[in-house]
Amino acid sequence: MISFEHVAKRYPGGIQALSDVNFSLGQGELAFLTGHSGAGKSTLLRLIALLERPSRGQVLFEGRNVGKLARRHIPYLRRRIGVIFQDHRLLSDKRVFDNVALPLMIAGLSYGEIRRRVRAALDKVGLLDKEKMFPPMLSGGEQQRVGIARAIITKPPLILADEPTGNLDPDMSAELMRYFLQLNELGVTVLIASHDLELIRQLGQRVLVLKAGQMVDDLPARLALTGDSHGP
Amino acid sequence: MARSSRRTGYEALPGAAGLRAWARRHAYSLLSSLGSLTRQPIASSMTIIVLAVALTLPTALHVTVDNVERISQGWERLDTLSVFLRAEINAEQAAQMANRLGSWPEIAAVDPISPEAGLAELSGQLNLGELGNSIADNPLPWVLEITPETDTPVATLAGRLEREEQVDLVIVDLQWLERLDAMLALIQQLVSLLALLFALGVAFIIANTIRMDIQNRREEIEVMALVGATAAFIRRPFLYTGLWYGLLGGLLAWLLVRSGLIVLSAPVARLSGSYDASFQLYPPSPEVTVLLIAGSGLFGILGSWLVVGQHLRRINP
Repeated sequence: MISFEHVAKRYPGGIQALSDVNFSLGQGELAFLTGHSGAGKSTLLRLIALLERPSRGQVLFEGRNVGKLARRHIPYLRRRIGVIFQDHRLLSDKRVFDNVALPLMIAGLSYGEIRRRVRAALDKVGLLDKEKMFPPMLSGGEQQRVGIARAIITKPPLILADEPTGNLDPDMSAELMRYFLQLNELGVTVLIASHDLELIRQLGQRVLVLKAGQMVDDLPARLALTGDSHGP
Repeated sequence: MARSSRRTGYEALPGAAGLRAWARRHAYSLLSSLGSLTRQPIASSMTIIVLAVALTLPTALHVTVDNVERISQGWERLDTLSVFLRAEINAEQAAQMANRLGSWPEIAAVDPISPEAGLAELSGQLNLGELGNSIADNPLPWVLEITPETDTPVATLAGRLEREEQVDLVIVDLQWLERLDAMLALIQQLVSLLALLFALGVAFIIANTIRMDIQNRREEIEVMALVGATAAFIRRPFLYTGLWYGLLGGLLAWLLVRSGLIVLSAPVARLSGSYDASFQLYPPSPEVTVLLIAGSGLFGILGSWLVVGQHLRRINP
């Protein structure tokens, strides 16, 4: 599904965010991406969703060299990737319903179809009763779940989450992570950047470790701890 | 499309379904653009008023020139040549000459004016009254007032008349009309130049307004790009906004010009009444109206296209 081959990213101004990163993530896999802040976690995710282009090397998504994708094809790539941000990136002047509906509006679905799918997605994240509210009226955890509903509404094969539990208390974080595991069980490939090492250890999934822009470790999943509840 | 080998259901759908999706996206953009216009009613109206004032200037100038041209066309039909005969020519010779000239194909009518009639007219015009009668020795010659056929080149006819033996002087009082025509043509070109300049002004005023709109909605644009909106989809509401600004500005400019004409119509009627004439102010022609409003709308689209395109390149690397 995703494959990095000798990927480097240098930002203008000389900051080397990633250097010679190699790893691959198979279809239906779930992995955590960890490391100190500034280790390059966000950059790595941004390269997959083509929010940045790599300076060197290849980023392959579904067998396609993403770095070489023409600008006009970028939107179609992003529709196959659901991205979840630490700061939610919700539109505060639009209702929860409209926030979640945005990807479907862009796709040009009929209003009936949009309503049906938005309500299904909100139901899945337990926010069906909040659809008429505006994001600032919700708690941090609820806002994050609205972001998740928006990311999964188009049923993308890949979910990227950048510090999804960053602003949440431990209980809420654990609940959210369990939700990602559920998604993964349905066959969705999931890559989560997080520095919540305690929680990651509990979940026992595959862990990729970044340090100063380099992939220093790739720990396989410890099936025993999670009760073999995830996919391959 | 981009990923024909892996259809996700979001590429351009074929046939009627694709058309419906296209129409829905357009409806979304249209509503969104109207929303951004009404969200900030004061800022929007200020932009529209600035546009209208900018467009009113060339339009009003065009209407002025157009009306002066109409009036001067009326004058051109009054053109006559005054042929002053030599002083020694008497009434009989003048009548003979009038007959002879009357048979020329270029001449429609010949009206001989005796020295006495001329003096009477002159003293009447100059308000000399009795003084006219007191001039014992009338210095005026016989004059033949000649009306040419409508399509006669007046200059050629004047030249031919001047070569006649009995003719002392031919006065063609058309020079000032020609100069007026030339001046009007010049002003009309100036109007075209101004119109172009102000149209560019419209594009840039709208570009600047849209730029501020984009700043306010930067977050929304980024989120839309993140969830897979195409450049066209992001651009479209702004293009619609530009179109609305342009159309409304053009429409308001037209209303301003029309109201100006209504306000001026009474003074113009009074003025023309004092000349025993009936000038009438003509509003902008339908062509000019359409050009004004549609052209303004087009330049609105152009302006927003420029600024949105520039912004989009920053989001998609």
